[in-house]
Amino acid sequence: MEEISIIGQVVGGKFGDIIVRQKAGTILEIGDLLVSEEDSSFLILQVFALQYGSQIQERMQQMMSGVNLEQGVIDAQFYEPEFVNYVLARIKPLARVSKSDGQVKIPKSMPSFFNKLRLISNKDLEFLKKGGDQIFVGHIRSGTKVIKEAEVWLPAEDVFSHHILIPATTGRGKSNLVKTILWHVLDSNKVGALVLDAHDEYYGRRGPGLKDHSNAKNNLVYYTPSSPPAGANRLSINLQSIRPEHFEGIVEFSDPQFQALRTYHRRAGDTWVTEVMRVDPDTVAMNGDNPNRGEFAAVTLSVIQRKLRLILGLERDEEGNLISRHEVFDSTTRGLTTVDDIVNNIEQGKVVILDTSRLGDEAELIVGNIIASRLLYRYKEYKSTGELARKPVATVVIEEAPRVIGEEVLTRKNDNIYSTIAKEGRKFKVGLTAITQLSSVIPKTILANMNTKIILGNEMKQEREAIIASASQDLSEDDKNIASLDKGEAIVTSIFVPFAMPIKIPLFEEMIKEHQGSPKATKTKVF
Amino acid sequence: MRFAHLSDIHLGFQKQEALQKIEQEVFEKTLDECILRKVDFILIPGDLFHNNIPEMRVQKFAFAKFRQVHDAEIPVYVVYGSHDSSPVANSVIDLLAETGYITKVTRVKESENGKIALDFIQDKTGVKIAGFSGLKAGKDREYYEKLDRDSLESEPGFKIFLFHGGISEVKIEQSQEGEYMPLSFLPKGFSYYAGGHMHRFLHYKYADYLHVVYPGTLFSGYHSDLEENAKGQRRGFVLVEFDDKVTSVEFVEIKNADYEIIEIDAENRKADSVNKELADKVKGIDSAGKIVIIKVEGELTSGKTADVDLSAIREYLSQSGALAVNINKNKLTSREYKITEAKGKDKDEIETNVFKENIGQLRFEQKELIGDPGVLLAKKLLKELGQPSLENEKKMEYLQRIKQGAFGILELKIDDS
Repeated sequence: MEEISIIGQVVGGKFGDIIVRQKAGTILEIGDLLVSEEDSSFLILQVFALQYGSQIQERMQQMMSGVNLEQGVIDAQFYEPEFVNYVLARIKPLARVSKSDGQVKIPKSMPSFFNKLRLISNKDLEFLKKGGDQIFVGHIRSGTKVIKEAEVWLPAEDVFSHHILIPATTGRGKSNLVKTILWHVLDSNKVGALVLDAHDEYYGRRGPGLKDHSNAKNNLVYYTPSSPPAGANRLSINLQSIRPEHFEGIVEFSDPQFQALRTYHRRAGDTWVTEVMRVDPDTVAMNGDNPNRGEFAAVTLSVIQRKLRLILGLERDEEGNLISRHEVFDSTTRGLTTVDDIVNNIEQGKVVILDTSRLGDEAELIVGNIIASRLLYRYKEYKSTGELARKPVATVVIEEAPRVIGEEVLTRKNDNIYSTIAKEGRKFKVGLTAITQLSSVIPKTILANMNTKIILGNEMKQEREAIIASASQDLSEDDKNIASLDKGEAIVTSIFVPFAMPIKIPLFEEMIKEHQGSPKATKTKVF
Repeated sequence: MRFAHLSDIHLGFQKQEALQKIEQEVFEKTLDECILRKVDFILIPGDLFHNNIPEMRVQKFAFAKFRQVHDAEIPVYVVYGSHDSSPVANSVIDLLAETGYITKVTRVKESENGKIALDFIQDKTGVKIAGFSGLKAGKDREYYEKLDRDSLESEPGFKIFLFHGGISEVKIEQSQEGEYMPLSFLPKGFSYYAGGHMHRFLHYKYADYLHVVYPGTLFSGYHSDLEENAKGQRRGFVLVEFDDKVTSVEFVEIKNADYEIIEIDAENRKADSVNKELADKVKGIDSAGKIVIIKVEGELTSGKTADVDLSAIREYLSQSGALAVNINKNKLTSREYKITEAKGKDKDEIETNVFKENIGQLRFEQKELIGDPGVLLAKKLLKELGQPSLENEKKMEYLQRIKQGAFGILELKIDDS
């Protein structure tokens, strides 16, 4: 090892908390990755805490400070300060890499005592080589230093089917990360994705976005309820696609109300929503000639109608047809095949973005519920017919995940499709990509099932604790590390990576520039 | 002012003489109606003919009728449909255009930087018309991806856009890839969108697309159309009144024929019981002068699908004076002889795998008909039978050639038949 590259030396500590003295003139940062060369392997270690060390007693240091501060003319210095005062870093081993075959193992021993350490370089990370169908999440980061050559790619099928959690507070780069992931998903047809885009920010209607990917024409499908740009689809879902169970776990209906919904569905079939909205509650409840007289209280029907009206934004047009204010739900013949079309696209490994920015919370979740239910149903069918192996893994990307998989929601209401996917989707190659600010309200059983977490900065201690407690690697010493993550910095913890990887996610706009070439203008013969 | 909008006439589709007659009659009646109603112009957005070069009989009556329309000084504006276009050969549409009886709408102004800019045709009424043809398998999608929308959308006046293709937003059933496109591919702000390809009358209104209209087929362009006719589907064309905007869109019905439909559910039944029900139902209808549709579907518990004796029914109905008999048993299967589907990377592999999956059901003494030799033989036979007719080859010559080839493969003498 060249002396110039040495950054510190092991001086003490214990396994998992090794103390390193920082070399004078160098600066260690929280999160820095260090390398300790051993005989046939090398250890990768990470700084998780920094503190001062000194050979001079504390009282003496305080006195010297007093001289400097109170007798201003004297600028007292320590004799040979680089020897007597220094920084001590607390580091933990992350991985042991075999020099012969690049195999990575969880370390079970400490670096040699007094061993000199250096900062990690791209050569040390050659084991991260891309291979097979993988998705890119970012570059390895050592402290604030980004190792551009060391790209972190995750095995797509495994990662998506085992669910991804992206915990972060606002402004830490969640959208940028999701766009980056989806950008690479668009490279091939190996992953199908349903993206519920509550802020209409992924497609790029008003700026750079996934539409700028060279494969977007084939692999990206965009649905929006308002003025779709050329080639995009109008998000229109026929009311016939809705079934009573789609409200379960999302909308609060009392038992009698749910019973009424199911009864109408059983009687009227696909047109049950229209039927429910058409009846006069008082007539059904009071009219002596009506065979259903007294079956439901007028107030039950009134409440159902009010809830459906509010959630689905339903109104009547001049011809008496039910229409929805946000133009998404339709009671005529529009949008009859939208759900199947979307599921077909996902099955073909395409990314389907639904602009749900004009929908209320519950309506957005119901739209997602209808589609995700159909998707899971189909994948279950494929499993039973043996076709599942030929299908791409599918993921449902959902923001503010506690709305559907939060402890309180799941306790108060029944399970919904999102919690079902979180619990059993893996068997059928359907996963969740859940984005949240509040990991602490997601039940531990679900958190534990989310086997990849891409942790962005989070200043809330309670949230950090929930994430650390459910991480795939031991992050017990990383509390401060997570708190100090800057925008675009993240830690990837997953059962599919050898150690918790600190990464820097590239800025989406810059990544687009790197990937964009000048498109070839081809002439088309028009008949 | 008013114009007529008709489409998907599929002239030349019908194979039975009686149906050919109806096909011709409704076409002529429709154009007579246009002349009678003094329309200012006629729009036909595709599939006027069932193929690019229909038989001479069809060309003859089509030319004669269009000459009448031309003599009545009614311009006809047309784009190709997915059936009557051919990227490699001419179409009879081109002949009609050359004679001046019809006008092809698609005018590419320039196609530079990969963009396609369309020019408008201006009718004597001042109406501006532009449009794209429809190509098979959604190959016209590229037109829309490259379309210079700005120049079309900024054009002032009463504008009509002709197109041939389904709109995914209003699709009512699953379809083949490429058959439908999002509405957003069409340029916005036109007064009227004259659509073709959908075989039912449809009229949709959206904020940026005020009138998206399909008149539907005039008679039948697919076999399923006849079934829909029998179930009461109205056929006709669309009459549009307008000044500086569309003031009314009226569907004008053109009657084509009387129908009877017999539907049999054969699920979990034996052929004998199906035959009995069929015979009873056939006797219960008055088929004289009518088109009779027979639809049998479901899975028989035993026997072959051929045990459902439809030829006798057809014979009976013909003798009872039925105009035509259309039998649909595409969805009739048998548990005993169910064709198991198989997958493969291409057509050849799929065929091989389907034969392999199913040949085990057959019981023959001849070893060359079963096992791997049987699969090989079946593939050879399929290839032989799938040959198209040669250019200028007469039907009888074609049948004879195919028959000889097939007998050769089976190592049989043609006299053995």
